[in-house]
Amino acid sequence: MFRLYSIVVIGLLLFVVGMLGVEEVDAGHHEVKIGVLHSLSGTMAISETSLRDVVLMAVEEINAAGGVMGKQIEPVVVDPASDWDLFAEKAKDLIVKEEVAVVFGCWTSVSRKSVLPVFEEHNSLLFYPVQYEGEEQSLNVFYTAATPNQQLIPAAEYMMEEVEAKKFYLLGTDYVFPRTANKVLKAYLKTKGVPDENIVEEYTPFHHQDYQTIVGKIKKFAAGGDACVLSTINGDSNVPFYKEFANQGLTSDDCPIMAFSVAEDELRAMDVPPLVGHLAAWNYFQSVNTPENKKFVKNFKAFCERNGLPGGSKRVTDDPIEAAYFGVYVWKAAVEKAGSFDVDKVREAVYGLEFDAPGGKKMMHASNQHTLKPVYIGEIKKNGQFKIIYKSDGLVSPDSFSRYLHPDGKYPAPTGGPKEKAGM
Amino acid sequence: MCLFLVPPLPYFPVFSFSRFPFSHPLHFHVSHNELMNPPYSPMSRICIIISLIFLQIIGILYPCLAEVDDAFIRSEVHKFAGDDAAARKAAIMTLAQSGDLRVEAILESYKLGELYLWNGEVVLCIETIEDEDFNEFCLLSDLLTSEPILDADGKQAQIPLEELEEISPSRAERKLTNSAKFLVRLSSPDPEIRMSGVKKCGDPPGIIEGVPQLEAMVQNDPVKKIRYIAKESLLLIRLSRTSLEQDPDAHLEIVRELGEMKSLRGLPRLQEMFDELMIEVEALPDFEEGTDIEDLEPADVEALGIYKYAIAYKYAINQISNYQGFVGGVGNIFRGLSLGSVLILMALGLAITFGLMGVINMAHGELMMIGAYATFEMQRLFGHTPDSPSDWYYVAALPVSFLAAAFVGYLIELSVVRHLYRRPLESLLATWGIGLLLIQLVRLRYGDNIGVNAPTWARGGLEVVQDLIVPYSRCFIIVLCGLCVLLIYYLMNYTKLGLRMRATMQNRNMANSMGVNTQRVDRYTFAFGSGIAGVAGYAWTLIGGVTPDMGQNNFIIDSFLVVVTGGVGELIGVICAGLGIGVLTKVIEPLGIGSMVVGAIWAKILLLIIIVGFIQFKPAGLFAPKGRLSDV
Repeated sequence: MFRLYSIVVIGLLLFVVGMLGVEEVDAGHHEVKIGVLHSLSGTMAISETSLRDVVLMAVEEINAAGGVMGKQIEPVVVDPASDWDLFAEKAKDLIVKEEVAVVFGCWTSVSRKSVLPVFEEHNSLLFYPVQYEGEEQSLNVFYTAATPNQQLIPAAEYMMEEVEAKKFYLLGTDYVFPRTANKVLKAYLKTKGVPDENIVEEYTPFHHQDYQTIVGKIKKFAAGGDACVLSTINGDSNVPFYKEFANQGLTSDDCPIMAFSVAEDELRAMDVPPLVGHLAAWNYFQSVNTPENKKFVKNFKAFCERNGLPGGSKRVTDDPIEAAYFGVYVWKAAVEKAGSFDVDKVREAVYGLEFDAPGGKKMMHASNQHTLKPVYIGEIKKNGQFKIIYKSDGLVSPDSFSRYLHPDGKYPAPTGGPKEKAGM
Repeated sequence: MCLFLVPPLPYFPVFSFSRFPFSHPLHFHVSHNELMNPPYSPMSRICIIISLIFLQIIGILYPCLAEVDDAFIRSEVHKFAGDDAAARKAAIMTLAQSGDLRVEAILESYKLGELYLWNGEVVLCIETIEDEDFNEFCLLSDLLTSEPILDADGKQAQIPLEELEEISPSRAERKLTNSAKFLVRLSSPDPEIRMSGVKKCGDPPGIIEGVPQLEAMVQNDPVKKIRYIAKESLLLIRLSRTSLEQDPDAHLEIVRELGEMKSLRGLPRLQEMFDELMIEVEALPDFEEGTDIEDLEPADVEALGIYKYAIAYKYAINQISNYQGFVGGVGNIFRGLSLGSVLILMALGLAITFGLMGVINMAHGELMMIGAYATFEMQRLFGHTPDSPSDWYYVAALPVSFLAAAFVGYLIELSVVRHLYRRPLESLLATWGIGLLLIQLVRLRYGDNIGVNAPTWARGGLEVVQDLIVPYSRCFIIVLCGLCVLLIYYLMNYTKLGLRMRATMQNRNMANSMGVNTQRVDRYTFAFGSGIAGVAGYAWTLIGGVTPDMGQNNFIIDSFLVVVTGGVGELIGVICAGLGIGVLTKVIEPLGIGSMVVGAIWAKILLLIIIVGFIQFKPAGLFAPKGRLSDV
């Protein structure tokens, strides 16, 4: 009997491992390989799986339309399992063993920092699709999501101008993005004349679940009716935070929460009624009202359903998903413009590239590796979607280094780039 | 005209705390006794609860909707399109004060620039579409009903954007609509919406137009809390409108009243005014001690009046902050209890599988996760969504989550654990592996993003005393935790099964020889412990999120911490350790010296240090097993 059980257990184990493993496809000459480096297990799987899905969808679309310069794209999907060291290892595998032309991947800043030396050493290219804290500019990375001045600053400005908030509670999870984001926000608020005692900064550990004390503090802080919360709380801590907030009798009228890490995909996992009326700032919402976007949303749902992905037709799109999606198209356009898969040529071709994304026309910056994007502020609705209540006039240009953290105007030089042959 | 169905209840002074720590050598005629509150009146909580529930029911019937003429609204909204800024402003306020609830949506659309003028009529356009040549068309809806406006073919009218005239508000008008929105809410029949309106009317800078309505609400609103907030808002509006220089008596009377109401919302305003006053106080010349007031210059005597004002402010501020201190203290204890009960619930299952059976069950967190997902499945089965709630799913989910987790636990015991009873380290690794397996299985089945919507009765909280809100969900968990403890206690000590369990755990061979089927007892015990873990996961869905790896992220370490601190194998140990850790965390977290606050991160670190230190002195935990048991 024991043997039977072991066989069952081992079988199950192998099954799971098999699901996690590298998707191998036979390599052919008419194909170009690209790497997809997103965690499919571990802590970050909750967010990153969707990015893998949408990159594969973009690849499927491009292949169906004839590929890139006549070559079919062959995606090589690896699972770095939310393990930062493994990110670097897998990135190296992709570049050296698989010889991919480009990699789409990473979510957390620490994972990006961990793969950065690998990409710079091999002069390879990474498209990074998630809004982050800025203060970085590597010639081997294209950042397709927002820098602080494309998300944080417009949101803080909105809170001051439109909501007329005078007190700010900066609440975040304890890691690099919230810490730097709050540094930028604090510097900005101070230039706007917000006194020190009207800014509170607080952090909680990852996976923090008990927000009773903090909500109690916010309640006192917001008693005057002119306070707001700027939240960089990440991942699963958002659920208990918003629940506690509502349960202690606070509403978005008493103290609106402006979130920088809550998008449609996260809202799927939340009990939405306590969040209704709170805000979020992004560069894209599923509710952006254009025909291209409606088509994109429909296609994504259909793609997920067709491939039997969890959630199926109930899946939603959000800012990082859009950024990951158009990243593939930006690369395709650049390759076609350059007429080559060579990293240095593609890089030059990306600069200043204009393109149509689901959320409207966008443009790559002429030199600093980032993307010009519109800024939206949305109000959470009962159905887990956002009602857009603010849109920036035109595109906002990205600052790779924040002017609020470098008031002297001295910005560090970009890192990475073409290998110098002189040393040979 | 509105009918009031209940006579307004008397205002309950629930607690009154007043001390007077601010003393000054100079003496003034503001006597303490004058300012003292009516004596402390003990009001039983039950009475408040019953009256609140009663009033909530009444609140639904109140007040009768004031619907004004459609044509009137349309004509007023039409003025938004006019050139006269003063007329636009007047129209916004007229609409806001009309008491018609549909106005809020219209104002909101106006603010967002969704109103357009079309053929001399104001229409709503939320959506535009584009044809192949990038011409934009607006889909029109009716202003009041939001129904689509149909064209001749019976389809929604699509008008080229150029043919519409945009009605977009200026910044000042956007601000005005913001406050106008809250004026509209004053007439809402829903107490919660009404409450938000009442509250915002008093927030700075204050909506003066709302004063007459607020005055009426102070007297007549059926909900006591709203009467209180209305009064508070009125006072706050008046506070900013009466200046200390012009009418000190009236101003100080408002300050006194706010203090007496223990108004938390008044606190920042009073503090601000007090700080400003103190700047003047500090500018006063120093007097020698013992100076007779007769000897001072008349100008100085007058300047001394500032002290009187400052004391009045300080007195009110102290009244409020003393009360807040009390609320904070009680609140911390409650938060500690609530966190403690969550910890106990998490650890109870482990106390059985690890404490009693000695299996280092690393899959314990995953069993809780299964309980949470079973709850999710029940929600799906009952079709519970925020829009169409069917709260019974949550009742049904209790046994289901228990059984689901118990079943999985049974299988784990059957397949793996039973072979490893004498090899604790291997059982640690094996159960860890099972945990990973379960996580990935659930991830493949559900994906990562699913949400359990709490039943409607678990939303919100009960205001036990003013400013102290106890969330219903947390109360439920405390009760559930108590019930689970009682169940386990009963099962262990008063049933045959419990007797067999204890016998098996104490001496397997002896139990065996007495005719106890120890293998079966093991299986049931393990399944029972797992089932309790499932119940913990079920309760968790009320306050936390549901993800496949929630067990590893949130539960497993805390559970072991509680069981080990409490003493392995003792139910009472789990209870004491759970409550102790919970209360300690919540007491440490808000502590601080000056502006440095301990906060969530350091609270956790400090707590771990305390526990490590504690284990050094009592390695076997709070309640160590005694006698022969301790040798096993």
